[in-house]
Amino acid sequence: MAELQGLGAQLSEAEKSGVEIVAVSPDPNEQSQKVAEGLRLGYRFLADRDLAVARRFGLVHERGGPEGQDIPRPATVVLDRDGVVRWFSVSRNFQVRPDPGDVLRAVRSL
Amino acid sequence: MSVSARLATLSVLVALGAVATYVLLFRVATIRNHPEGYVLAFAVATALAALAVARARGRRWPAWLALGFSGLLLMAGAWFNFVAARVPGTPTALHVGERAPDFTLPDATGRPVSLADYRGKKPVVLVFYRGYW
Repeated sequence: MAELQGLGAQLSEAEKSGVEIVAVSPDPNEQSQKVAEGLRLGYRFLADRDLAVARRFGLVHERGGPEGQDIPRPATVVLDRDGVVRWFSVSRNFQVRPDPGDVLRAVRSL
Repeated sequence: MSVSARLATLSVLVALGAVATYVLLFRVATIRNHPEGYVLAFAVATALAALAVARARGRRWPAWLALGFSGLLLMAGAWFNFVAARVPGTPTALHVGERAPDFTLPDATGRPVSLADYRGKKPVVLVFYRGYW
């Protein structure tokens, strides 16, 4: 969650209303809800329980989870108003996430 | 304090300092995004402890203890960072300049949200994360 917090904290109020941050994970809805309320940063948390969406994006790490289950590869994608990919980053080490500054630069250059 | 005891103490401080820095400053992108930093710090701690063992006269166990401690951290840290945390770099369905695949998923209240809902309205930052943290 750390990278989500960093991203939200660096967005101005005006920018928050002008861009939608959509966070997708296999976490159940109830858990996402708690996280969303706790952060109060206006993200949309979507539950991808069976990883169908992560799979469609080619972002599944097979048996990469703590219990050997399939798990999403951490990734950040910037889409313009037409839904076209303008920038993306996929982690090669799950500890590493894009710098929020880089993501914001991509958003601001749209 | 003997030279060996000083080196052993410094070794433990470097190792513990690396753990504390990573845990406490995890939200700082520069720290989080350079996990090889803690592995390097553990290697320095191990080298200091090895030096402490070499310089030990008389009481040797503090130096050996520091070497065992830092050596274990180095092995565990290197394994975690270079083996366990690695994510395969297989190709994705993402291509700059192409439209992302559309999807519909339930939001936190169970309401279905489609990526296409934002089309023509807002840019979207789509974040895939592992959950659990």
